Amino acid sequence: MRTDTMGIILTNNDRIPPITDIRANSALPFAGRYRIIDFVLSNMANAGITNIGVATESNYSSLMDHIKSGKPWDLDRKNWGLNILPPSLEKMTYGAIKGNIDMLAGISDFIQRSPQTYVILSLGNSIYNLDFSDVIKQHIDSQADITILYKDMRGVEEKELSRFTMIELDDKKRVTDIEVQPYYPKTATASMDVYVMEKALLESIVDECSARGDRDFVKDALVKKMQGLRIYGYEHSGYTDKIDSLKSYYRNNMNFLDKNIRDELFNPENPIYTKTKDQSPTRYGADAVVQNSFVSDGCMIEGTVINCVLSRGVKVKKGAVIKNSIIMQDSVIEENVDLSHVVFDKEVYITKGRKLIGQESYPLAIAKGTRI
Amino acid sequence: MVSKDCVAMILAGGQGSRLGALTKNVAKPAVPFGGKYRIIDFPLSNCVHSGIDTVGVLTQYQPLELNRYIGNGNPWDLDRSHGGVYVLPPYQSAQTEEWYKGTANAIYQNLSFLEGFNPDNVLILSGDHIYKMHYGEMLKAHKESGAAATIAVMPVPWEEASRFGIMNVDDEGTIVEFEEKPKEPKSNLASMGIYIFSYDALKRYLTDDEHDPNSDNDFGKNIIPKMLGNGEKMISYRFEGYWKDVGTIQSLWEANMDLLDEPPKFDLNDRHWSIYSRNMALAPHYVGSNAKITSSTVTEGCYIDGEIEHSVIFGGVELGEGSVIKDSVVMPGAKIGKNAVIQNAVIGAEAVIGDGAKVGVNSSADNKNASKLCTNDLVLIEGGAHIAAGEDIYTGSMVEA
Repeated sequence: MRTDTMGIILTNNDRIPPITDIRANSALPFAGRYRIIDFVLSNMANAGITNIGVATESNYSSLMDHIKSGKPWDLDRKNWGLNILPPSLEKMTYGAIKGNIDMLAGISDFIQRSPQTYVILSLGNSIYNLDFSDVIKQHIDSQADITILYKDMRGVEEKELSRFTMIELDDKKRVTDIEVQPYYPKTATASMDVYVMEKALLESIVDECSARGDRDFVKDALVKKMQGLRIYGYEHSGYTDKIDSLKSYYRNNMNFLDKNIRDELFNPENPIYTKTKDQSPTRYGADAVVQNSFVSDGCMIEGTVINCVLSRGVKVKKGAVIKNSIIMQDSVIEENVDLSHVVFDKEVYITKGRKLIGQESYPLAIAKGTRI
Repeated sequence: MVSKDCVAMILAGGQGSRLGALTKNVAKPAVPFGGKYRIIDFPLSNCVHSGIDTVGVLTQYQPLELNRYIGNGNPWDLDRSHGGVYVLPPYQSAQTEEWYKGTANAIYQNLSFLEGFNPDNVLILSGDHIYKMHYGEMLKAHKESGAAATIAVMPVPWEEASRFGIMNVDDEGTIVEFEEKPKEPKSNLASMGIYIFSYDALKRYLTDDEHDPNSDNDFGKNIIPKMLGNGEKMISYRFEGYWKDVGTIQSLWEANMDLLDEPPKFDLNDRHWSIYSRNMALAPHYVGSNAKITSSTVTEGCYIDGEIEHSVIFGGVELGEGSVIKDSVVMPGAKIGKNAVIQNAVIGAEAVIGDGAKVGVNSSADNKNASKLCTNDLVLIEGGAHIAAGEDIYTGSMVEA
């Protein structure tokens, strides 16, 4: 257990229609049995952090249903534990959230009441598995004011890099420049949108920014204060990405078919926890053909499934063929259906013999509960 | 304290010696079953679905793993402030110190636990049966009849009736006679070892039984016959549905195989009656490009690149390319290399089967691993055992770690 550090997760509102129409991005079903937020939450819990605030923006009922008391992460504590913090309209400058400073200002009571010295601030749509203890140690040892987690993304195409906040570091890993989603990135070091700092510093930044009507933690605080603050980078050498588009959602799911990525993200020493559903093991019928796929419990597979990620309770009937697709919880694929490159939200029902074909560059996403 | 309508007591102390190496280090109720469960998940889940929120689990033999598994009862929603699940091992007191002498004595030694809840009725269950049953309906029948005890019975094939405790009942279902393993059964209604007693009657009979030096302190042998002899009103509660005593290697294997028919003889995928279990926090299972899985169940955390036919695969199992598993049960975390063949086997948790090994394929008259407990040519590999690459484990073997 770690009594000196608290966690704050800012749930993210990058829209990915239609799958985020009904839920916050951070609550998206992901990697079969998980939700995106499970990764950040489990990382914090595994580091022994027992006071975690999850700041929400809108559409948060699915997130609350998922997290509830925090039991799966062992965060149902007598003291602190997991706190879901709905937006506080009174504290926003214009009565609406226009940036992450508004979200932080809305939870300032929670931050103020927390007795911990340090805070880890993370966006809720990042995928990574790392040991925060090591990050906190470096933060303290380097006497940094703020430590930013980053990933060296050399080799990644420029267009992809433009999705991230890029940072420039000197050889002592001190941050010398920050650019938010630049069209022509100068470096290949991408921020993971995870920050470590003293809680008191975060409080003063939030207070100062909201008093001036500033809205963005990075553009208005970090960029402007870069000279006065000692901002350092912490390199994460492992896997990381953020889910900010259907393409990145699709790709990050498909990446779980790679053994190395699976082994890293589901490291048994640093488990990823999620809400349990008590579903029975998956049943394979007499004619099932399943290859290179990631399959959760509770499915009934009688057809063919190749290169797919299946959430819990998916039914694939005889003669159906699904390839290169992501199928969320309790969807039903009837007999002789032919699917390729689709992303199905929960409880999609495809009647007999239908054919739906998307493309890798443009997966076909179907909203929750659709019957075709 | 609010009195409880019904408190359940699960008898979980038995060694289960007929399960051989499977119960060397764990009590029978902690033996894995059905891909992600332990045997005790069934009575515990039945209790919760039946509205019974206070459960005592009486442990004695190798209780460590069972204790840890039950923990605070949260997986079964039994982490209650008023009630919940309690593990009850034998204990020393100022007057006595003794092990549980029999099923009745185990409950007798815990009368003070029951007294704390002041229940109207007590449900006695075994920790070694696989079934889904609504105890609430049985309790309702018990209360409506005003009986001192209600015993769950189920019809068994006549030719097998002499293996069971048989209840002879009248037209209203009142029990008139109980015969333990009768040579010539008069009825085919077998006792399922599930009893509801009115608490006052239970207390009285257990206390009397304790003072009888000739008693075996057993419900079936002593308490039930004594109550019948004294003319207490006892009724039968008829259960129709899947029920299986998994006390032997063969019956445990059979009960697992019963999950694989289409439709299954026993359906675990029942959203209205989920069987709860302690979750292992494992990722979905991965099925590789060389895999072929048919008529089987596979659980989260597995890595499967071989062939699986008509088998039950528990969480975290690895199966290498070219290996074939048929008609078998593979318990959590077992690692099977490449090109191995496994047939008609129960592979214990965390066992390691080397590349090219053969398990249950060939038979030999001169088999040093042969065991009487492995009937019907089944093979049992104990949890944690290592089978070397290329080794040949003959049919009917039991291999210890």
